[in-house]
Amino acid sequence: MTRILALAMLALVACGGNQSPADSGKILRDSATAMASVRTVSATLKLTKGVVTIKGFRLVSARTAVRMPSDSDTVYTVKQQDVSFALEIVIVGGHVYEHIPFTPLREVTGAEAQAFPDMAKLFDATTGLPAIIPAGTGTRYVASEQLDGKQVDHVSTQYTPEQVRSLLAYLNSSGPVSANLWVRGSDHLIPKAALEGAFGDGGKDAAVEVDISNFNGTVSITSPSP
Amino acid sequence: MSRRPLLLGLAGAGLFVAALDAYVVVTLLPAMTGDVGITIENFEQATPIVTGFLAGYVVAMPLLGAYSDARGRIPVYVACLAAFALGSVVTATSGLWSFAQLPWMVAGRFLQGLGGGGLVPLSLALAADLYRGPSRAVALGSVAGLQEAGSVLGPIYGATVTAAAGGLGGWRFVFWLNIALSLLCGAGLLAAGRRQDAMTPAGSVIDWPSALLLGLGLGALVFALYPDDPEHRAVNALFVPGGAVAVVLLGAYAWRQVRKLEPLIPRDLLRSPAFFGTTAANVLIGAALIVTLVDVPIVGRLVFNLEALDSGLLLTQFLIGVPVGAVAGGLIASRIGNRITAIAGMAVSAAAFLQMSSWTANELDLHAGPLRQADLALAVCGLGFGLVIAPLTAGVLALTRGQSHGLATSLVVLARTMGMLVGLSTLTAFGLYRFHQILGTPVLNDTDLRERVKHLERLVGAAFLQEYREIFVIAAALCAAALLVIALSLRPAHKSGGI
Repeated sequence: MTRILALAMLALVACGGNQSPADSGKILRDSATAMASVRTVSATLKLTKGVVTIKGFRLVSARTAVRMPSDSDTVYTVKQQDVSFALEIVIVGGHVYEHIPFTPLREVTGAEAQAFPDMAKLFDATTGLPAIIPAGTGTRYVASEQLDGKQVDHVSTQYTPEQVRSLLAYLNSSGPVSANLWVRGSDHLIPKAALEGAFGDGGKDAAVEVDISNFNGTVSITSPSP
Repeated sequence: MSRRPLLLGLAGAGLFVAALDAYVVVTLLPAMTGDVGITIENFEQATPIVTGFLAGYVVAMPLLGAYSDARGRIPVYVACLAAFALGSVVTATSGLWSFAQLPWMVAGRFLQGLGGGGLVPLSLALAADLYRGPSRAVALGSVAGLQEAGSVLGPIYGATVTAAAGGLGGWRFVFWLNIALSLLCGAGLLAAGRRQDAMTPAGSVIDWPSALLLGLGLGALVFALYPDDPEHRAVNALFVPGGAVAVVLLGAYAWRQVRKLEPLIPRDLLRSPAFFGTTAANVLIGAALIVTLVDVPIVGRLVFNLEALDSGLLLTQFLIGVPVGAVAGGLIASRIGNRITAIAGMAVSAAAFLQMSSWTANELDLHAGPLRQADLALAVCGLGFGLVIAPLTAGVLALTRGQSHGLATSLVVLARTMGMLVGLSTLTAFGLYRFHQILGTPVLNDTDLRERVKHLERLVGAAFLQEYREIFVIAAALCAAALLVIALSLRPAHKSGGI
């Protein structure tokens, strides 16, 4: 689950190692700069291919709200057999809380807390996704398209397993991860990304779609009762 | 081969497929709801997936018989099949796109119900058109039997098809399959019935004001009973105004129907305590029956931790009990009378529900000789329902002339479906409220996330068990109430047909 979310976030910062004549490198550099300026953001992720499990739960989707520099509220929808349930992880003020259905928020500490991905760090301008923008290869401009009524530039690129792991150490893709990114022409932000690679269970192929919205808007992050 | 059995067979097959879909979702709900983003903690949102179908079914059932008088049985029947197939497409595609979430699925189920509900009076009317004399009762009985059989077989059918079609879309395959089956039945009917419609008299048109009153009334009723916040209350926050609107709209519909249908429903029948008693008993029986059809597979999934197929198969003994009881009911009623037989049936089901109210988490490990106690209870429960169905239906038929048998049988099905709709809505609201009350807000201190979730599963299973024990007690009470209604309203006749 952590791998997938990090990969999804990685898609936001795909870079142009090999510039195409259609200025795909510049498009991604501009998008990296724009994404580095994001203070709040919401995102949803849907697994569209393959199986990814964590601790025996099969990931279906996830949605997150991030408030820089360090707060996030992420709801993972997972399946056990075919029953779905929501697992919420709230990171606020340096504390990590877990919300299992029907139970109160519970603080998690130590190694278990560290195991949950810190979504805010993925947007950190110096260590997160914007910082690794130049690392992609095979960047290609695909087309100018319309997304939700706005003009976007569709760009594809590719990451090596090492590049993926550099973002989060435990990401372990057994092969290259291809990314398709849609970059808004107006503000260079990335509203949609799709990733495919060998990051599924057992190194098998998996694919995710990520929709990103509410850039610098108001986000709701659950705070535990005092 | 004579054209009449072919036409009736095709119409009955279409009706059977549609009736299967009423409760086909019961064993598929966890997978279906997961695909439209509903998680276990918001499971109340799944209620309209079942009630949506029933609401459409109830709306269409009383309306389309008269409409087919004007437009012809087969064209209207095929139009209903098309609506059912379209609803199946909508349901099957739920969750495939971001816009096709829960409302999409409920809309699909409602459309399925509209189409499927229309098939009931149309099949009965077609049977009445095709047959005269003693054969007509057999034809009408066959159609009603197919509708009943489809309803009770739905959960096990859904689980079986889904298990067999794991690589073909899982639960979606059940609904894709409807398209092929509808096409077969529709094309066969059109081909075999080309001359049939020329014989059909014209005259009636659809009663749109009544359709609107019934549809809005049922919508208000389902809304009023929808558990919008089961953690804090058993009924909807707008239960009182919603319920009042439902009463007014459904009352207006009934008033229109009593005036409008007087030529169709004989005045004597409307004034007959036996008719009202039978109708009321069928409503109560429908509410109790839905407990078995819906809640037993859910108990299998959430308490006994069975797979979807096994939870559906848990109903097998019940499904065996119903037809055995139906045959026995017919035989016994011919000797001791409909009233005593029906009373005995309700007493047997009530006793079985009371036994089920003492089920434990390891119930499936408990045996009485070579048989599991749970299977025995379910078989006895089905036997009781089977015992009561035949005498009540025969009793209604005995109150009507031959040409009204279709209408009378349709009213029996309508009353039972109405009971199922109200029973399901009410008991779901109650059950979810009780579940939250019983579970409370557990604090889990296990060291690992996986262990905490396992711990929660045990607590949730225990809460569900207690909730369903209480629902089984309510089902027993519903059976007892039906018993009382039958005892008070039906005459103590000594032969089948005279209640």
